[in-house]
Amino acid sequence: MTIQDASTFDVLCEVIAKDHGLAPETLRPETRLADLTLDSLALIELIFTLEDRFNVVADNVPADLPTLGSVAEYIDGLRTSAGLAAETDPAQAG
Amino acid sequence: MAADPPEGRTPRRVAVTGIGVMSPLGNSEQALFESLQGGLSGIRRIETPFASRLVNRIYAPVDCDAAAHFPPPKLRMLDRFSQLALLAAQQAMTGANLQLDALERSRAGVFIGTGMGGGHTTDDGFQALYANGATRLPPFTVLMAMQNAAAAWVGIEHGFNGPNLTFSTACSSSAVAIGEAWRRIRDGDADVVLAGGSEAPLNFGTLKAWEALRTLASEDARDPAASCKPFSRDRTGMVLGEGAAMLVLEDWERAQRRDATIRGELLGYGLCTDNDHITRPTVAGQARAMQLALDSAGLPAEAIGHINAHGTGTIANDAVETAAIKHVFGAHAADIPISATKSMHGHLLGAGAALELVATLLALEHATLPPTINLVQPDPECDLDYVSEGARHVTGIDVAMSNSFAFGGTNAVLICGVAARQA
Repeated sequence: MTIQDASTFDVLCEVIAKDHGLAPETLRPETRLADLTLDSLALIELIFTLEDRFNVVADNVPADLPTLGSVAEYIDGLRTSAGLAAETDPAQAG
Repeated sequence: MAADPPEGRTPRRVAVTGIGVMSPLGNSEQALFESLQGGLSGIRRIETPFASRLVNRIYAPVDCDAAAHFPPPKLRMLDRFSQLALLAAQQAMTGANLQLDALERSRAGVFIGTGMGGGHTTDDGFQALYANGATRLPPFTVLMAMQNAAAAWVGIEHGFNGPNLTFSTACSSSAVAIGEAWRRIRDGDADVVLAGGSEAPLNFGTLKAWEALRTLASEDARDPAASCKPFSRDRTGMVLGEGAAMLVLEDWERAQRRDATIRGELLGYGLCTDNDHITRPTVAGQARAMQLALDSAGLPAEAIGHINAHGTGTIANDAVETAAIKHVFGAHAADIPISATKSMHGHLLGAGAALELVATLLALEHATLPPTINLVQPDPECDLDYVSEGARHVTGIDVAMSNSFAFGGTNAVLICGVAARQA
């Protein structure tokens, strides 16, 4: 499976599990970042990692991303925009 | 300077009740002591991938895999100098067996010296930006690189919310940190201070910067571990090392009340500055710091039975320090066994003084002085007793001095005594 096919939420869980020593099966879309003791800096770090993994740019991170689901939804939006841009401009596809 | 306590206050005695060590000679005070007594060297050839781009390819690293000590989320927020400080502080706290309530924590401080701070983080950042073309740096970069990161983490870990201070005066940083902590406790402004130093300069950028100063030792062709040769005529310079040493300093009466094991006493602290040049030491400046330390301890020069020298192995320092010791101690200088333990653990820069104070306290406690290794060619300008024959068992030595002199001119001298010494 390429990264284009991967679920944002699954990759997000994989990153959090590795970086924060958590069991992936305990992570749910409704899990709150605060309950994982992920503060604002940890969220930025997480988004940086997801940017690199999905080759997207997160330049306007919403102030309110309280749950893992909301983070995944935000990254999904970036992936969709990047996919549309790649379709209209082949130079961005690589 | 180490002025008298504020008027009306009775100076308090300062006990050492905990010791922690992460050093090129081992990661406990016991390992350090055994290595020092055995005259072992922690200096070795650099085997990292960047070694081929270095001219000076020797250093004194700490054998410590931080991933074995910190969970991943915490590890990613800690520069190596903070990791080493935290591990040394934990040992010191365990040894002190301190339990503090909220009020006591408000009068407990953390005083740490570091010369280079979070240099690994800075170096990694430069590499990412300039060499690898990164467009951003990790969000923790500032919090890892800042000079006070180690002290902050130690304060967080142990819940000390009295003064949390970082001192950066190059090679005397941790002598200043310990000395200033001593003053706070002596004067009644704090009851407990975790004091010491931490340094982690063994990254490519920092090593290259030191290389450019032309003060690093040439590798001994026969034995790289023997490259640092303080007070020897064939000395060529210092060897950079990393590490941390932390002490729990405590109001003497408080330590006695809680029946703590008192490991030694901090007796005096002298501080002054050379203004002649950014690196060149002076006999007058070093001598003045030693005299100020004696004055603050209220002791005559004859009371000093052992000196842990700054003894870097540079041409300039060792001759100047020898002359300064003669200036302060006169005829008694020839009777004082002087150890340059940097010959074994290298120069830990901002952590050096703390490690050397620990070495001094252990020497007093065990009545066994560490040697100066690799001193095989006597230098007419360095003609005192440097304990070059190997560790020396002694009797009747209950007070010792530890010297630290820095680039930038800050000269700091500490005096300590055995726990059983009568005030």
